[in-house]
Amino acid sequence: MTLLWQPSPPDHVPSDHIVDFDFFDIPAGCTDPTEIWHNLVKQGVPPIFYTPHNGGHWVFLNYADVVEGYRNHELFSTYQTPIPPIEPFPIMQPQGIDPPDNKVFRLLLSPMFTPLAVRRMTEGLHARANHLIDTFEAKNHCDFVRDYAELFPTATFLELFGLGAERLPEFLALANTFFRSVDPAVRAQNVTDIYAVLDQLFREKNANPGTDIASTIVQGRDENGQQHKWDDILNCGFLLFVAGLDTVTNTMTYIWRYLATNPRARQHFISKMDDQQASLIALEELMRINAVSNLYRRVTKDCEFRGIQFKRNDRVILPNTVANRDNKIFENAMEIDLNRKVNNHVTFGVGPHRCIGSHLAKREILVSIQAWLTRIPDFHLDNGDVGAEAFGGAVMGFRSLKLRW
Amino acid sequence: MRVIANLDICQGHARCEDLCPEVFSTDPIEGKVVVQVDEIPDDLIEKVRLTVRNCPEGALRLVKGNAQ
Ligand code: HEM
Ligand code: SF4
Repeated sequence: MTLLWQPSPPDHVPSDHIVDFDFFDIPAGCTDPTEIWHNLVKQGVPPIFYTPHNGGHWVFLNYADVVEGYRNHELFSTYQTPIPPIEPFPIMQPQGIDPPDNKVFRLLLSPMFTPLAVRRMTEGLHARANHLIDTFEAKNHCDFVRDYAELFPTATFLELFGLGAERLPEFLALANTFFRSVDPAVRAQNVTDIYAVLDQLFREKNANPGTDIASTIVQGRDENGQQHKWDDILNCGFLLFVAGLDTVTNTMTYIWRYLATNPRARQHFISKMDDQQASLIALEELMRINAVSNLYRRVTKDCEFRGIQFKRNDRVILPNTVANRDNKIFENAMEIDLNRKVNNHVTFGVGPHRCIGSHLAKREILVSIQAWLTRIPDFHLDNGDVGAEAFGGAVMGFRSLKLRW
Repeated sequence: MRVIANLDICQGHARCEDLCPEVFSTDPIEGKVVVQVDEIPDDLIEKVRLTVRNCPEGALRLVKGNAQ
């Protein structure tokens, strides 16, 4: 098979722009995987640098360059971007398609995730939050990741997709293997399994459509009035699975660790419970500080960018956690200010692929904070636990967070 | 004063609606901004100014004069 999207050997990279950096490698004892990124800035590495690890890729550290990486899709494509490079790779609809063709699936999905649509989901999200808290409140302790942060977005996904709650264990297992396994054979089997589940689901919805998201996707029509290609339908389902579970789980875990050690932050959310705008401003600051995803791009042609030579198919990583603390953009960038006045963070990306699920994600998190603080206003890290089993990669986080109250 | 929204670059972050629902909402299809008020009342101008600065896409402008 001919490989079409492989990066070049790094002969074009000036030696003073090469840094030894593996974004999957979290040192033993490190409980905050974002630190490996912030250390780069502390060490003063060039704001655009190249690392030979993981097939070789660039990293942009400045906010302005990260934003350009998101916006300039003619130079920085989302088509065929995996790091390390893998071919063939499923084309996630619409994330893996450049404008203007991305519009087809983006328009299909966006009405289901607008602020208006998400407002209609709020009551259900509240009920889910309270239901989960019921399962451990009286015990006075929990493992936040296992008992809450993993369950909440996965159960939400099932409901949105019109699947019964009884399938939660099956989906949790699929998601856990997908996001955590490092064994290539297990991973390959897992992707096959997820596609099999999606295939069956979309077939059922095709035969017997409801009002859920899976039905809407399967009933979507192209410009000729035909159903979309079956592969595209599956890849869109797969993207929602990949994009909407782990991101929310790990963002929540980071946020709860912060809340557990910051009574004043808890108090802030409690005192603003009835002030929607102030709550959203505070939430936005937690989103800025806890940006768990690192996005990938592929350079479309040999070119010069910011005075540096890039070759076609070079890979680039856009680390939101770094961009969000650029002190050229954010006042007191390292400080958490729950009243921050101007906050153009890039946690959900910007430009043509801006996260469609951002309103849902923020609502899931805010509803959870409010339900939790209403019932468990005071909680702390159990025995000084600061989180365990940290992992890096495209989505960063840690696998356990023991809380007590 | 009035607000001009550039819908070609608006990507539906809805920061505008979050920060100043008195003036901004979003449409039910693409979730892009809808400016609901032609002439921004004086007591909202500061709030709108801040909202304009919080649009991650730079899609909003506050300009002098009334809507045509
Ligand atoms: C805190 C949680 C989340 C974070 C940090 C996050 C982050 C992101 C980012 C940075 C992108 C841009 C991708 C790129 O430019 O290549 C994105 C895209 C996307 N996200 Fe999210 N996301 C979150 C939650 C969700 C949820 C809950 C859903 C769905 C239910 C979702 C669905 C999507 C989709 C469909 C796209 C692709 C949009 C497109 O390409 O047009 N995300 N997300
Ligand atoms: S904040 Fe900006 S990009 Fe987002 S909806 Fe409002 S105008 Fe559009």
